Amino acid sequence: MVDIDDGLEQMYQEVILEASKNPHGKQHFAADLADEQASTQGEAVVVAEHEACSAGQSRQFNPTCGDEATIRVEISDAEPHTIERLVWDGHGCSISQASLSVMVDLVEGRNVDEAMELFKDFHDLMQSRGKGLDNEEEEEALGDAVVFQGVSRYPMRIKCALLGWEGLKDSLARALAETK
Amino acid sequence: MTQTLEQIRQEFPILNVKVHGKPLVYLDSAATAQKPQCVIDAESEFYATINAGVHRGAHELAARSTLAFEEARAKVAELVGANAEEGSEELVVTAGATAGLNLLATSFGYASMGRGGKVAERFVLKPGDEIVVSKAEHHSVLLPFQELAARTGATLRWFDLDTEGRIRTDMADEVITERTKIVAITHISNVTGAITDVATVVKRAHEVGALVVLDACQSVPHIAIDFHALDVDFAAFSAHKMYGPTGVGFLYGKRELLEALPPATFGGSMVELAWMDKPADYMMPPARFEAGTQPVAQVVAAGVAAQWMREIGMDRIAQHEQEITKELLKINELDGVRVLGPLSTEQRIGTVSFEVEGVHPHDVGQYIDAQGIAIRVGHHCAQPAQRHFGVYASNRASCGIYTTVEDARAFVEAVGKVRAFFEV
Repeated sequence: MVDIDDGLEQMYQEVILEASKNPHGKQHFAADLADEQASTQGEAVVVAEHEACSAGQSRQFNPTCGDEATIRVEISDAEPHTIERLVWDGHGCSISQASLSVMVDLVEGRNVDEAMELFKDFHDLMQSRGKGLDNEEEEEALGDAVVFQGVSRYPMRIKCALLGWEGLKDSLARALAETK
Repeated sequence: MTQTLEQIRQEFPILNVKVHGKPLVYLDSAATAQKPQCVIDAESEFYATINAGVHRGAHELAARSTLAFEEARAKVAELVGANAEEGSEELVVTAGATAGLNLLATSFGYASMGRGGKVAERFVLKPGDEIVVSKAEHHSVLLPFQELAARTGATLRWFDLDTEGRIRTDMADEVITERTKIVAITHISNVTGAITDVATVVKRAHEVGALVVLDACQSVPHIAIDFHALDVDFAAFSAHKMYGPTGVGFLYGKRELLEALPPATFGGSMVELAWMDKPADYMMPPARFEAGTQPVAQVVAAGVAAQWMREIGMDRIAQHEQEITKELLKINELDGVRVLGPLSTEQRIGTVSFEVEGVHPHDVGQYIDAQGIAIRVGHHCAQPAQRHFGVYASNRASCGIYTTVEDARAFVEAVGKVRAFFEV
C-alpha cells in the first residue's frame, strides 16, 4: 500500500503543475463560457490556415466533471501527413490541462502515424495502474508524458489525462478524411 | 433514552472504514447518506424470514410480506406528513426521486394525449400553457419537465436565482401566471443548500390553479417535513439520501390527484380487468402506479430508516446539522475560497458548495480525498445552477446526522491547504 501523500505527490508532479498553469497550444475559440458551450453543440467545420493542409476538429467532454476540450489539428495533404498545427481550447483540471500541453509539445511536427503510435503508448501507460510501460523504448518516446504514470493509479482521473489524446485521435481522423 | 451523537455514529459500520490509512470523514451525504446497521439488517432480515411477492398470492408468507411492505409505506408517510391508510394512500413506491418525477411528467404527457379521461383533464398541457421550474433545479427536475414541454407544446419558464443562489420567489407573481399549469421546484437546492420559500410558490400557484411538484430529495433527510402543511400537490424523494437503501423512492401526491392521474407504466399488479379487445380498468392508487414486482426488501428497509429518523427526531437532526453548517461555512473566511450559496445558516442546510480560486474542483477533491475526507466534485447534476455562479463545476461538502464538528473542522483545515499544495 503506497502512502497516499506520496501518491498525491506522484500524481501532481512539478511538470504537471507547471504545464497546467501555462499550457501550450491553448487558444480562445469562443468569447465566454456560455458561448463556448453553445458553440460546441453540433459539428463545427474548420478550415486549415496553412497551405496544402487539411484540418480537423474534435470536441471532448468529461461528463463527470463537466470538463471539455476542443482540439484542432492541421496536417499536410502530402504524405506522410505532418501535423503542422495543433491547438485547443477548453477548461478542466490540472491533469487534463497539463496532458493537453504535453501532448502538443510531443506531437506537433510529427506525422500522423508517429502521433498514433504515441497515442497508443500513452493509452497503454494510462491503463498500467501505476506500473508504467514494460517497453523502455516506448516509455522514452513519450518524453514528458511519462509523468502521468502516477495518474494511472487513480481510475477516476485517467479520463482527465486522456481527454486531449482522444481529441487528437478523433481530429486526426477527421483531417485525414479531408486531405486532398 | 436519548442517544448521544457518539452512540448514533456507532450504528454506522462504514464509519469504521479507513480511507488512505485515515479514518473516513464522509461529507457527501447529499449524494447518498450512509446506512445505520438497522437498515442494513432490515433488508437481509426480510430475505431471511418473509420474502414473498406482495399484493398477489394467498399464502402466509405473501400476507406477511404485503403487511411489511404496507407498514413501511406507513412509516415513511408518517415521517413526511402523508396518508397511508388503506384506500387513502398518498405515497407511491418508485425506483427513486428521478423515477417519481419522470412518472409524473410521463403521466401529464399521457393526460395531454387524452388518456385518463375527463378526470385527467386538469393535467392536460397544450401550446400556450406554461411549466415553471427554477435555475436551481437538479437535472432530474429540469429535464423531465423540459421534455414534457417539448412533447406538449407548452412553454418552459423559470425562476432566476439571487446572488446567494436562492430562488427568487419574490418574482412569483411575474413568473407564475394564468397560463401556468405546473410549477416543479426544489425544496432545497443540492448545490447551494438553500431552502426554498415554498409557501410563497404554493400560494401563487394555487391562486392561478397550477399544480406544485416539489423535489424533496434534499429536504426529507434534513428537516421536519409535512407535505399536508406545505400544501404541495406532488413531491418526490429518494430513500438512499435518508439513510435508507438505494433503488427506491417515493412519490407523494394528494389523494384526489393521484386518483385522477393516469398510469405511466403498465404491467402486472396495476390492473383490475384486462381484455384483448378493449382498454383495461386500472386499479386505484397507489397500485395503479406500481406496475411489476416492487423492490420489497428495500421498501421495508426504507420504512426502518424513516422510523429510525423519527426516533432520533427531525428537530434534533436539523439542530445538529445547523451546528455543522456553521463550521463548514468557515471555509468562506479562507483566502481564495468562495462559498456558492447562502453564507448564514438561515434557511439553509449543511450542503456547502464552494470554489477554490485557481484550483479546479477535481484537483481540490483529490487533495481533500487524500486526507481521508470524501466530498463531491463536479456539476452536481445542476449545470444551470453552476453557470449562475460562473463556474463549470464546483466542490461540495454535505453533512448528515453522523457528521461531527471535528469532521467539519478537519475539512476546513484541509481546504485551507489546497492552494499552497497547488502553488497558487
